[in-house]
Amino acid sequence: MSYVTINKLSKCFGEVTVFEDIEFTIEEGEFVTLLGPSGCGKSTLLRTLAGLDKANKGEIWVDGVDITHTQAQHREIGMVFQSYALFPNMTVEDNIAFGLKMKGISKKDAKEDLQKMLALVELGGKEKCHPHELSGGQRQRVALARALIVKPRILLLDEPLSALDAKIRKNLRQQILDIQKELNLTTIFVTHDQEEAMLMSDRIFLMNQGEIVQQGNPEDIYTKPVNEFVASFMGNYNLISAETAKHWFNINSNNKVAIRPESIYIKDAGRQYADHISSPKLAKIISHQLLGNVIRYNLKVENEELTVDLLNRSSERLMPKGSSIELLFNLNEIQPVGV
Amino acid sequence: MGNNKLFIHKSVVYSVITLLFTPILTTFIYSLSSSWGATILPDGFSLKWYSALLTDPRFIDAFGRSLFICISALLLATVLVLPMIFVVFYYYPKLDKIMNLLILLPFAVPPVVSSVGLLQLYAESKFQLIGTPWILIATYFTIALPFMYRAIANSFTTINLKDLIDAAHLLGASTTKAFLLVILPNLKKGLLASLFLSFSFLLGEFVFANILVGTRYETLQIYLYNMRQTSGHFTSALVMTYFAFIFFCTWLASRLTRGNTQ
Ligand SMILES: Nc1ncnc2c1ncn2[C@@H]1O[C@H](COP(=O)(O)OP(=O)(O)OP(=O)(O)O)[C@@H](O)[C@H]1O
Ligand SMILES: [Mg+2]
Repeated sequence: MSYVTINKLSKCFGEVTVFEDIEFTIEEGEFVTLLGPSGCGKSTLLRTLAGLDKANKGEIWVDGVDITHTQAQHREIGMVFQSYALFPNMTVEDNIAFGLKMKGISKKDAKEDLQKMLALVELGGKEKCHPHELSGGQRQRVALARALIVKPRILLLDEPLSALDAKIRKNLRQQILDIQKELNLTTIFVTHDQEEAMLMSDRIFLMNQGEIVQQGNPEDIYTKPVNEFVASFMGNYNLISAETAKHWFNINSNNKVAIRPESIYIKDAGRQYADHISSPKLAKIISHQLLGNVIRYNLKVENEELTVDLLNRSSERLMPKGSSIELLFNLNEIQPVGV
Repeated sequence: MGNNKLFIHKSVVYSVITLLFTPILTTFIYSLSSSWGATILPDGFSLKWYSALLTDPRFIDAFGRSLFICISALLLATVLVLPMIFVVFYYYPKLDKIMNLLILLPFAVPPVVSSVGLLQLYAESKFQLIGTPWILIATYFTIALPFMYRAIANSFTTINLKDLIDAAHLLGASTTKAFLLVILPNLKKGLLASLFLSFSFLLGEFVFANILVGTRYETLQIYLYNMRQTSGHFTSALVMTYFAFIFFCTWLASRLTRGNTQ
């Protein structure tokens, strides 16, 4: 049996159903990401797992024990909140040691654990500061240390990085991963940033409107979207209609067909392409965006609009608006999606 | 032009200050003068009125009674109001609107009206309440309520109550412990401010004290009222002592609340 098993879990607030009959399992030490747009129920699902919101239906099993009706304070689940929720009246040290204090461990006995934890999250020297004296990243690390020191069985992270700037985000992301691997912590991480999810996770649960629409490892989710939502949420898939797909590639499909922006090539004269890269089409450039190392072109082909990503090698090769070009498609990477 | 404007601003501010301070200052001078009759300047200065006041056992007793009543009322208010506001904000946040209306009620009725109402209501009760300090404590509690509720409710809105309690729960704290260890310390500032505010207000309360209790339990204000026939110098010294005490309390309040934010 898996370490965490969720069985037909449902949650509603009055008339509003946030999610219904959610089911999944998580293995010990796994890093799972709940990914989905704002308002799809990620936080509510985490809070229900933690026992902060009561499930209306269903079961939560952890390590072979049904904890559906266990109170939050006895679940041994740690959580880092979107808002940090540090105790403003306490120093960093007291914040981190709070969980130990609740277990009846005195500050003196906790000293060693505390030092270890401070070193782990690299907050040595900040013990006596109050939360309002810390930067966002430091606060988030205090919140992390506070949750970790009681050795939770599961760690829940609710968008811990969303309030931080790009650079700190990157560092902290790695730090969280390192700590998670070091402690072999079963972790559920919430984000609405697909890049973050792909980078960090062993598995991704993609949520939409209270449903887990697809789960799997990052590669599978990215390359084999099961439906339009997944395709549009994970990287800017091109979705073309079934008729166009039939006409262009002779693919029979009842639904739309997905083509990733990097599976389309702008044909260079005099260059040899592999056999599966074919189906040439004439296109016109509508606009382009520079995304750092990638240039994204928006093109018009017949009556479809496509986006194509090319590596940004040099500015001379930048093609101006209105140019006519020829496209080639990687036929192995074109696939119909579910609805 | 700018200077001119500044001059106008300054003169307005200083005139207001002078206007407000003149009575206090003259009262102060009057309380210090040995006698001040038909002459422009007092005959001489002495502290005899202060020494007479501070050695009057009746004054000391009245002061003690006032302190007892005010502090008891505020203790009662703290013990009842703090958990009540917590319950309102944590479990029934929608009640806050109704509470805001309810707590204004003690102000909506003029003190004279409500004290007469209380007299009638409790005149025939089995327990003798009228004329005892207990009814005054209970009445003062209702007067302190609006001050306390507003100030503490403001403190509640500045903290992220739900998340803080949730975080404490997940770390193994019960709701009571979470309230005592995590929430209460953050309310200290609002609580102290409202306590000092209500305290200075209650210490100067006269209408309820006079009608409900009167001379049977002489508080500071009743004592002042009863002393109105004696020398004006003496009552001036009394008023000044009262002022000094209030000033001291206000200073203490601002010090304590400021110290808390650092
Ligand atoms: N206490 C509540 N009462 C009523 N409805 C709620 C409550 N909490 C959440 N909801 C509703 O549940 C839905 C899911 O909310 P939730 O906070 O779980 O979204 P989320 O996926 O975490 O979004 P975000 O990425 O913006 O944090 C929303 O439509 C929200 O309005
Ligand atoms: Mg959320």
